[in-house]
Amino acid sequence: MSEKIYAWLLRLYPSRFREAYGEEALQLFRDRSRDEAGFLLRLRLWADLLSDLALSVPREYFHVQPGLASFSAHLRPEGVPSFFVFADEPLGSGALLFGGVLSIAALVTFSVLLNHGVRHVPLSALLRPTQSLPHARSSPFDSSAPKTANNTGEMASASKESQPPGLAATPSQPAKGAAGRIRGSVKLNAVERRRIVEAAAAILEKHYVDRDNGPKMAAALRAHEKKGDDDKSTDGFRFAALLTRQMREVSPDRHLTLDYFDSPLPPHPPAPTAEDFAHYREVMTRENCTFEKIEILPHNIGYLKLNSFPDVSVCQATAEAAMASLNHADAIVFDLRDNRGGEPAMVSFMAAYLFDHPEYLYNPRETTTEESWTHSPVPGNRLADKPVYVLTSVRTFSGAEQFCYDLKMLKRATLVGETTGGGAHSGAFHRIDDHFGMGIPETKAINPYSKTDWAEIGVEPDVKVNTADALDTAVKLAQARLQKK
Amino acid sequence: MPKQKLNPLPSAAFQILLALAGEDLHGYGIMRQVAEQTGGRMRLGPGTLYSSIQTLFEAKLIEETDAREDANLGTERRRYYRLTASGRKLARTEAERLADLLRVARSKKILRGEYV
Repeated sequence: MSEKIYAWLLRLYPSRFREAYGEEALQLFRDRSRDEAGFLLRLRLWADLLSDLALSVPREYFHVQPGLASFSAHLRPEGVPSFFVFADEPLGSGALLFGGVLSIAALVTFSVLLNHGVRHVPLSALLRPTQSLPHARSSPFDSSAPKTANNTGEMASASKESQPPGLAATPSQPAKGAAGRIRGSVKLNAVERRRIVEAAAAILEKHYVDRDNGPKMAAALRAHEKKGDDDKSTDGFRFAALLTRQMREVSPDRHLTLDYFDSPLPPHPPAPTAEDFAHYREVMTRENCTFEKIEILPHNIGYLKLNSFPDVSVCQATAEAAMASLNHADAIVFDLRDNRGGEPAMVSFMAAYLFDHPEYLYNPRETTTEESWTHSPVPGNRLADKPVYVLTSVRTFSGAEQFCYDLKMLKRATLVGETTGGGAHSGAFHRIDDHFGMGIPETKAINPYSKTDWAEIGVEPDVKVNTADALDTAVKLAQARLQKK
Repeated sequence: MPKQKLNPLPSAAFQILLALAGEDLHGYGIMRQVAEQTGGRMRLGPGTLYSSIQTLFEAKLIEETDAREDANLGTERRRYYRLTASGRKLARTEAERLADLLRVARSKKILRGEYV
């Protein structure tokens, strides 16, 4: 029996060795087992055999084709991996069959695991961690764009231009957007939950715009945590959504969110660097400050296609030149169908041409300041009493909507096109830790026109037409009006 | 490659050469002889034994003789191994190298001894 075992073990050696010495090795085994009878001696024999096997089998394989090994070692340049061929015998049919079955099994296992076993994570989330933060980037609580470190209400156009289209549409429903993306993989325990709750409560108490509701919400969060209402939330997204619900139960504020981010948030809101400004300036120069088209249409109708409201400090000259070239028009069409917003200062700067006296421009994101009034009249400007048409689309967003909303409310312009996108969040983003952050409104301007602004619902046009037909319609309206005169 | 494998000479290979210095032996005989000359410290397993034999054989340090029976071990025919001239020379060179080493060790007071 033991000889059979040893004969079987001998098969571990390469065939060349077995052919030359296999029989002799077996013979030696027989000799030893005959001579070394008794339990202890047998034990020693097997210990010898096994340790011998462990040492000599690898050595045999390594030296089985010394010529070949030395040849390949000779060929191999430094640092380049290479393969050694150990076996010198052709593959048996059994080995081929076994290999085939094993490959198929591996393939099947792999595909089954891919389809069912593992939780799906989009590849893009693995490749570009920043991409899982589109909400943070395009959020109105944007703190990463130049010049907006403190002035969080602004929609920085600099970040817009580098942003893939479509992402910017998410801020209208930030909490949902984040939760729908990837499920949080971080497992939260009670200590971490308490820490988040405590941090959120502190932020509410310190920063929330409504001094009564802030502490109430903070107390509610703490009470829920104490009662164990949060205990089931181990998933980051769910926990964030739960806390958001708890806060809104106290006061339904759609701008108040607590969000979870799968990839770590940057340690501080990165302050815009000189490089960012240089880049912004460069892009603006290249794109003519997003003043895409300035022309005089038939019947002396001025047409301006503006795709953002850029930084005044960079684009003032361009804006002035554009308005100067339209100064003698009898009517003016602002095409904001592709305008994704920008700086309130530029909104005000452009609107100034349309008034002969300082006019208050309501902006829900900012408390009323001197900047809230246009610097009208603009010297030399002749457009203050000319008919104004503004072309809108669903893409018209944020700062562009402020332009639309205020001109509409002031009855200074006729809006032609579609209802706008509806981006008017105000507030600041507070980082709690690597994965949690909170967006809360901190300032609130009083809307002189109505209870609602354009947040979520957009600005309704005066003349509702398809975006594609907006220009024709506006031109016809302008012509009709000019002929009446 | 055998030359590289034998330089430095592995102790198993040296012991086999020494075992064969006295008389021609078969595999089991070599194993017992090595065990005896090392005071039982080195028991060559079949794998080590025959791979060393293979290497020594390929380097022409030992040669095989015609198989014959060992009267003490029944009627099985066994292959015997014999030291070649170059094998004997290598064994002597190795022994001298070790002797030199010993001398150095003694001069450094690491090892005490009367002779060599």
